[in-house]
Amino acid sequence: MKKKTRAFNIFVIAVTLVLLVISLFPFYYMVVQSFTAWDTVDKTLVPTNLTLRSYEYLIGRGGATNSMMWVRALLNSLLVAFPTAVISVAIGLAIGYSLSKLGFSGEKLIMNSLLFQMFFPTIILLVPRYMIAKGMANTYPGMILPLCISIWAIFMYINYFKTIPNEVFEAARIDGASDLTILWKIAFPVTKSVTTIVFLSIFMQRWSELMWDMLIAPDINMQTLNVLISTQFKPMGAFPGPMYAASVILTMPIILLFLRFSKYFKEGISFMLK
Amino acid sequence: MKKKKNAFARRRDLIGWVLNAPYLLYSLVFFLIPLIWAFWLSMMDWNLMSDDRIFVGLRNFTDLFTDNKVQAAFVNSYRYLVPIVLLCFLFGLIIALLVSKLPDKIKGFVAVLFFIPYLTSGVATSVVVKYFFNYNSIFNEFLREHFGLNINWLTDERYAFGIMVGIVVWKMAGYYALFILSGIEGIGTDVNEAAALDGSTGFHKLIHVTLPMILPTLTTVLVLATGLAFGIFTEPYLLTGGGPNLSTTSWQLEIYNTSFTRFQSGYGAAMAIVSAVQIFITLRIVNFVADKLNERFGF
Repeated sequence: MKKKTRAFNIFVIAVTLVLLVISLFPFYYMVVQSFTAWDTVDKTLVPTNLTLRSYEYLIGRGGATNSMMWVRALLNSLLVAFPTAVISVAIGLAIGYSLSKLGFSGEKLIMNSLLFQMFFPTIILLVPRYMIAKGMANTYPGMILPLCISIWAIFMYINYFKTIPNEVFEAARIDGASDLTILWKIAFPVTKSVTTIVFLSIFMQRWSELMWDMLIAPDINMQTLNVLISTQFKPMGAFPGPMYAASVILTMPIILLFLRFSKYFKEGISFMLK
Repeated sequence: MKKKKNAFARRRDLIGWVLNAPYLLYSLVFFLIPLIWAFWLSMMDWNLMSDDRIFVGLRNFTDLFTDNKVQAAFVNSYRYLVPIVLLCFLFGLIIALLVSKLPDKIKGFVAVLFFIPYLTSGVATSVVVKYFFNYNSIFNEFLREHFGLNINWLTDERYAFGIMVGIVVWKMAGYYALFILSGIEGIGTDVNEAAALDGSTGFHKLIHVTLPMILPTLTTVLVLATGLAFGIFTEPYLLTGGGPNLSTTSWQLEIYNTSFTRFQSGYGAAMAIVSAVQIFITLRIVNFVADKLNERFGF
């Protein structure tokens, strides 16, 4: 029996390792190619002479014609994804709290409106949204506002607040705290894990958005990193090295953020299933 | 006393509306108006720029039926859906089962590692895939040298579609595995003990105990994966442009191209509405089947 379990454990670990290698191989490949000499890009799996040339190219010391555009693009991505995530969290928190803990007369209307919106895939809204936001083309509000609300995030908060006993809030009300104080001082802190998950997920989604940003911000100075890579790598003859380097820069912040906060995810996933 | 309560209620109402005002404003400007506009647009012949808008009634919709791009998008939704759902499901389940058998110390860490592909932007994935499958890449050199294989991965119908599916499954399996893992760990020790007493282990236990116990979780995964399969855009847009022979195209790609590169915006709006109807009906069917299954196992 013991021998059998041991063999089984080895089998489990071996298969896990194989699947992990497959899962992570593209990242390994991407990082290796971004650091390898330009004449060996895509020709080697184990780099022998590492170079920073691809990264230097992106910041303008390696011969790029418009070098600031890569730095700007990274900045644009941050300036779009961060506010979007903040707004999504704020709106989710406000609606979640007001629908489950406040007891106000608009509850039903808001709930029905949310359910109605969930029903329609956003692709229907693409052209009219573009027409409405066109005046804000190549501006941050034009990129942020039309995608700043997530129905998913709102429902995460609504469901989360339902699990918190009303007494917590009632006690504070009896002590004379105003609703806005309660929202900020009590409701917001107790949602720490949901807020972490919502913030990171919305940040990641917005960071990876391609279609809307291509439409609304085609100006080279306003392109996000995601858009800039896709416009630069499409024409044949782009240098692969810098494309890999840009992809590493595009990917790593998100992975590091999620790894840093991964302890919240277990709780979050089991909560999403409820 | 009553008056005071009313004052409280009114104050709460006020706060409630204030807290919901941004959402309501957003919904009006970026949801309700665009929604109505979309239906109106779908009956127009309009090129996105000009002031000439010709009302064509339902002609855009009747034209859809004979458009080979639309037919391809419609059929491809299901061609994507079936393998993506099945493979995501299968690999998600395998990963979850493997991770659940690992020692507690490394379990969480390994689950997170499997989750990393989910975080990757489709653009970064496309860069890697495009160059990796390029004619001169180490991978293709290797195939030519050792196997005499010369495959045009992204321009050969047979392979291009498989690569698209592969990218999505690679990206999503670890994410769905987290859900399934959470379901497996939610199975009570009493159930596991009872199964052990009955001598149910291994494959028998998987089929007769574990899977039925996590059926609600599996349903969630099924619905999520279905929605996902309809939203494919970045990968075909960057890697194949929907080709070869429209074999990798998707609704999102065709709607985008029709509206913004061919400037048939009214027609594009009609396409979007039809795609939404297809998504809606498909999700209904998936939900119905899942509900029936859940009922059978008493959920």
